[in-house]
Amino acid sequence: MIRTVIQTSWRRLRNNPSELFLTFIVPMVFFSIFALIFGSRDASSSTPKIKIAISNESPSELSDRSVQLLEEQSSLRISPPNKSNGSKSNSSKSQTVKRETAQDLVRRGMVSAAVVFSAPKKSNPSDDMFKVEIMTDSFDQVASQVLAAIVQKAVMTANAEIAKKKPIDAGSESMSNGVVWARHNNTMGIGANFPQPPVVEVVDVIGGKKANPVVAMYASGIAVMFLLFSATTASGSLLEERENSTLDRLLCSRLTMDQLLLGKWAYLTIIGAIQMSLMFLWGALVFRIDLFNHLEGFAAMTLVTAGAASSFALMLAAICQSRMQLGWVSTIVILSMSALGGSMVPRYLMSENIQRVGLLTFNAWALEGYNKVFWRELPLNELGMELAVLTTCGFVFIVAARIFAVRWERS
Amino acid sequence: MPAASGSLTQPEKLENAISSEEPALAVVDLWKTYGTNQALSGTSFSVKQGERLALLGPNGAGKTTLIRSMCGRVRPDRGEVQLRGRSIREPDVLQRMGVIPQDLAIYSDLTAKQNLECFGQLYGLRSRRLRERVSWALQWIGLEDRANDLTSGFSGGMKRRVNIACGVMHRPQILLLDEPTVGVDPQSRQRIFDMLDELNQEGTTIVLTTHHLDEAETRSDRIVIIDHGKVVADGTLEHLIESTIGVQRQVAIEATGIVTAPSGLEWDASRNRFVCFVDNVAEELPQILDRFRRVGSVVTDLEVHQPNLHHVFLHLTGKELRE
Repeated sequence: MIRTVIQTSWRRLRNNPSELFLTFIVPMVFFSIFALIFGSRDASSSTPKIKIAISNESPSELSDRSVQLLEEQSSLRISPPNKSNGSKSNSSKSQTVKRETAQDLVRRGMVSAAVVFSAPKKSNPSDDMFKVEIMTDSFDQVASQVLAAIVQKAVMTANAEIAKKKPIDAGSESMSNGVVWARHNNTMGIGANFPQPPVVEVVDVIGGKKANPVVAMYASGIAVMFLLFSATTASGSLLEERENSTLDRLLCSRLTMDQLLLGKWAYLTIIGAIQMSLMFLWGALVFRIDLFNHLEGFAAMTLVTAGAASSFALMLAAICQSRMQLGWVSTIVILSMSALGGSMVPRYLMSENIQRVGLLTFNAWALEGYNKVFWRELPLNELGMELAVLTTCGFVFIVAARIFAVRWERS
Repeated sequence: MPAASGSLTQPEKLENAISSEEPALAVVDLWKTYGTNQALSGTSFSVKQGERLALLGPNGAGKTTLIRSMCGRVRPDRGEVQLRGRSIREPDVLQRMGVIPQDLAIYSDLTAKQNLECFGQLYGLRSRRLRERVSWALQWIGLEDRANDLTSGFSGGMKRRVNIACGVMHRPQILLLDEPTVGVDPQSRQRIFDMLDELNQEGTTIVLTTHHLDEAETRSDRIVIIDHGKVVADGTLEHLIESTIGVQRQVAIEATGIVTAPSGLEWDASRNRFVCFVDNVAEELPQILDRFRRVGSVVTDLEVHQPNLHHVFLHLTGKELRE
């Protein structure tokens, strides 16, 4: 009896190509997608680089050389980029910015962190060593820790190079330019002048004051992914209507295909907006997401994201032949888009190539928009690019859905 | 309250009377090819105002393509469909037609009332008019007490009735039904045809396809048989019988103790009977029985078959209706 059950189940599976595909092929597809995202990190060209800005408030030999060493780091990308293509000795000057600019770049998400070489206070220079401040955006939780180590290494290397060039008065703590550095480090057993690690202060310029920063970051990722799933499931009604001839009946009435698609798009958009609103409201009430102070940006992002997701769902439905096909196609496409677009894994963890590919998904743009609203607390006019991309996506997808739906009219 | 009762209003009756000379529906030389498959090959026929027409054809005869062409869902390669002299491609002409698909084209997750409201609105009914038509439809299909129940919980027959009602909410002049009674029990079939008769008596022209030949025989005024995309017969049942197999009765006799067939009879091995055709059963049957007695055979069973639509259909298409 058990053998019969197994045999029948296997035969049913064998006779169902879609189920076979979902069972054996889809896992390999997803494995490949994630392998592409995380497996290509050893390739130097696609290794994720930390994008930083550098501010050198009081240029000195030490700070200049430190900046130069940071610029030479392959794991860092200095912003704004050096356009002069000049010699390395000049490059540090061309790539440094003011402290305020560096902080603004971090706040706007243009860079993951900023390194500020501060001048010692003139009131008590001996007490206030050459200080390096790292302004971080804790949205990228890896960057600040990696950068702190890189900066320490760069400053210590610079200091050692300078120390080699100049004679050192043994026992003195004063080197040059009032910078306190060299101390005998007998505890390490070195027994020679050895530079003490510089004072590196890490300051979170965005997330520091937030009540629950991590939740604010991930809420949008989850919300956008589920918005896509629910929109696609709901758009299956179009295929259901086609399968049971309701579509024929609808199109025999005064309803046109244009009206049908627009009606469904409007419905899906409204439901999607409500879904997103409920999720963020829940997040605000339970997980202290600061929704009520960002209503304007949230409303704009939610409306265009829901609209784009609805268009995308209708396009998938119009492409597919059956609800079953829609089911597995949407599962593959949405999970892939979510993986690449940052709904599952933060994009800063991905290689640069994959990050660029991720920009082809509208998840990435939606998430960036929500991050600007809730994380960076930028005003509405800063969302222009995200709103434009999502609106364009929505328009293109609904036009594509209409084109694919022509076959139902002519069938 | 004539509007609520579902009866035609005076202007509507007048319009029907005035245009009764003109065919309610005319299918004019329709051609349609799918790849190498010629689905329609110059199909033509017309339906008079208030007529009940049954459309028959074996599977693959082009019936579905014809029906879909008639309701504007398939654009023929050539020819056209006209409603009262106007092409269905003209604006608003199709609104005069009600279409009842073979599938249950209703929303199973809506109640009966909500389904009726939905399709009523899609045909342009609003507010009071819509409420009146919904009320009439629920009464017409006998589901007033189940108006607020989800149709997913309905029996097959009840769903069929809702399916039909959704197609007549806008009071169409022509009703096109594709197998309206498929999969329903005899009682529900009866109920459905009573409903359709009611509409027909009020002037609605009815065109239906069916696989039940008895429905075509008893529930239609005229029958059109199509095969290979062409009309192979068109007329009343009597006309079709007379023009194809004649009015002779078939006599089939089972007998024992016989070796050779009596004169005038043939052996039908498939039925295990001797058969012959007679013009007058009352006069000729005693003579046939006498022939059996004379050869020493005993007649154990006897059947007299009146020619019917089944015979006509077989004669014209060479196939059973479900083949």
